[in-house]
Amino acid sequence: MAINSINGCIGCGTCVKTCPTDVIRLDKRTGKAVIAYPADCQICHLCRMYCPVDAITITPDKSIPVIVSWG
Amino acid sequence: MRNSQENSSISRRHFLGLAGGAAGMAALVSMGVSTSWAKNNPEIDIDNIDHQESETDVLVIGSGMAGLFAAVKAHDAGSNVLLVSKGRLGSSGQTPFAKGIFAYDETTTNFSIDDFVNAISSSALGTNNKAYTRQLAEHSLARVNELRAWGFFDSPLYFNSFNKPIEERNITVKERIVITHLIKENGRIAGAAGFSLGEEKIHIFNAKSVILCTGAGGFKPNGFPICDLTHDGTIMAYNIGAKVTGKEWNDGHPGQSKNAAACFDGWHGMFERKPGTTNVEIHHDLGVDLNYKAYMMGSPIKMGRPGEEKVNDIEGGPYVPEEFRNRKPHGAEPDSADSKSRNRRPPKEGGAPPGMTGTIVGGSSAGMAIHKSEGLVPINDKCESNIPGLYAAGDALGSYMVGAIYTQIGSSLAGSAVQGAVAAEAASEYSKSTALPVNSKTKINLIREEILAPLKREAGYSPAWVTQTLQGVMIPNFVLYIKKENMMKAALAYIEELRDHHMPMLRAADLHELRLAHETSNMIISAEMKLKASIMRTESRCSHYRLDYPEIDDENWQAWINILKGEDGSMKFEKQSFGSWPDNQGSI
Amino acid sequence: MVFSMLVGLPMLFWALGDFPRRTVLKEVISIVTLIALSLMIGQFFLTRNSRKMLNINSMGLVIDLHKIIGYIFTGVLLLHPFFIVFPRYFESGVEPEEAFITLLTTFSSTGVILGIMAWLLMLTIGLTSIFRNRLPMKFSSWRLLHGILSIVFIIVASWHAIELGRHTDIAMSIFIILLSVSGVLLLLKRYFLNLKLG
Repeated sequence: MAINSINGCIGCGTCVKTCPTDVIRLDKRTGKAVIAYPADCQICHLCRMYCPVDAITITPDKSIPVIVSWG
Repeated sequence: MRNSQENSSISRRHFLGLAGGAAGMAALVSMGVSTSWAKNNPEIDIDNIDHQESETDVLVIGSGMAGLFAAVKAHDAGSNVLLVSKGRLGSSGQTPFAKGIFAYDETTTNFSIDDFVNAISSSALGTNNKAYTRQLAEHSLARVNELRAWGFFDSPLYFNSFNKPIEERNITVKERIVITHLIKENGRIAGAAGFSLGEEKIHIFNAKSVILCTGAGGFKPNGFPICDLTHDGTIMAYNIGAKVTGKEWNDGHPGQSKNAAACFDGWHGMFERKPGTTNVEIHHDLGVDLNYKAYMMGSPIKMGRPGEEKVNDIEGGPYVPEEFRNRKPHGAEPDSADSKSRNRRPPKEGGAPPGMTGTIVGGSSAGMAIHKSEGLVPINDKCESNIPGLYAAGDALGSYMVGAIYTQIGSSLAGSAVQGAVAAEAASEYSKSTALPVNSKTKINLIREEILAPLKREAGYSPAWVTQTLQGVMIPNFVLYIKKENMMKAALAYIEELRDHHMPMLRAADLHELRLAHETSNMIISAEMKLKASIMRTESRCSHYRLDYPEIDDENWQAWINILKGEDGSMKFEKQSFGSWPDNQGSI
Repeated sequence: MVFSMLVGLPMLFWALGDFPRRTVLKEVISIVTLIALSLMIGQFFLTRNSRKMLNINSMGLVIDLHKIIGYIFTGVLLLHPFFIVFPRYFESGVEPEEAFITLLTTFSSTGVILGIMAWLLMLTIGLTSIFRNRLPMKFSSWRLLHGILSIVFIIVASWHAIELGRHTDIAMSIFIILLSVSGVLLLLKRYFLNLKLG
């Protein structure tokens, strides 16, 4: 599922800014990064490369959203 | 709710048990099942959303390579500059993934600048704008040297080297702000408006001039890191009357068939390389040869090593000029690795271009044209549009710098740097002779309403769903690449349906979805432009291939197609002869 | 038995937990750090309080072990912030120096603040142990200081590990909490007994 997990986050927020497609947000309660919009991950790895504590794991597969007939 | 696209499994028993109950909907939402047809419940207090107005001489929109130079050079030319970006400096658009930058250095090449321009024109079959080709050669080395001084070549990540000159000059940067509107007052540019992704805030920028460095875009295709690029700049400018060009061209990058969405993996580590420079090296690449082959022979296509096998060994298909045949497809992103970094860390697969090894699939960059062949129509060689005060640079400018096919390797990144600087000086000059325009309150209020509209809709269509439908219509090889009139008209009927019925009903539950809603609108208009321009161009040339008009038609089509919004709001088209500026403003 | 628990349990939780697996270097660093924390908490049991529990007859041996483990793993944990950014020397991405600065300046994070506090406390404990003989205090007051600092340290360090740990899941958290609480209680019990007796 693209961006897969965040472990050991220190909440610096670099990944939030770095993600071109706005997938990651800081959780208001814990202050840590959460994968808020995984479907929009373009698997470019910028967040992982910029993370100071190497907390982000990304897999090459992507779940395809289900097709429905109403918008 | 806020992420209707999110996937999750749900057991049949669980589903049946809940579906009949009143709690069914809420349960589905909580499980992340697509409930795009459900009621829109925005999490935002729309009526109390913040509002911030800023003033500047030169507003630069976009923070890739073009935006960097636009901001730095406008500042150095004495203007007050504000840089606003949907993402982060050096980390949005295609710039972060471009690893090769062309530098024309007369000490290391046998090509004179004239030779270079002529060679590009020869590969580009006349589609290039020679003024911009020449400008690339003349300025690229200076820009590359500046980048070197900022440390650009020392890291695979560009934030630090981009931030250095910005910080030294104390240029204001506003990140994670989605610009949705350009503002025009009394026939000239007056600023831009948008909203913040991180906080509930509308931003109005009042500016004497605006430089669009918003890149090009696509249909959020899988396999290419351009899912944040949706032609925002082009469509905003089109909406206020700017001329747009180049929609019929295609970037023909393939992707790997396994994990086609994984662009990082598909490029085999290229994103992790430090950038390097490229020398004069002219090709005729990344058109739709492979798409033609796949169309005629079926998938999968297996690519051999470069030079091992002729790519185009079937009858017919796109024309490649004699002197550019049998060359190895360089392929690598325009901005592929340079020779230096290649020596340090040789790419896997014996040097085959990324995305072109093993079994491949098409459409990895679907919706995007060849770099710099689509975007705003320049009225001169100063990156100026037909709207006074509005400039564009890089992929946002339809400069045809290297034509409608991939010719000079690494020119994309170099061209963005060069044009950013050229646009900056022109915009700065313009700003000095202009007073700060006054934005009318009525217009601002109207724009504010338009920005927030998707949040206010109680029901409507989710942007994710509309985008998916658009992708299904536009991305197939037989629509986007191997073109035929009847098929494009059929696709156009779908796109017009999306435009007329779904675009006005896009809804958003949060700021992320609000961004998707605006992006989706831009993609729909861009799809309409792409189909109509492709139908109009009744010939095949460079990266535009018509199955029903497979030949080059020099008699009728030594011309670019410009698109503009008519007085009545309809999409209008005009031809502009190769080698001339628009509106018969002389030859190039 | 106790040692195999202190070393084995964190490794077990590491192995069973649903954590992404990374390069050998990174995993080795993680495991060493986890074991270091576990053994540091274990120091509470390597004292004369629990000599009987450990079935070690020689008090000297207990103290020697306490010292050896203390110095080695204090060293490991003092280096632990550097270990986090160290693998960046071998891979593409943010420079390790820059990552380290970001790490140390993210003051918005409780975990980072706790980590810095724990690091300083640990340094103090280490230094006051190495130079105990040169300190102008009686052994009994030093021992009291050592104990109090250790209690404060282990609370802060455990909290830090639970807050920020890459491998902190429920099992690991419960293990750290139980171990810390029992260690601290053991020490407090000794102090209160001493007070009563005294």
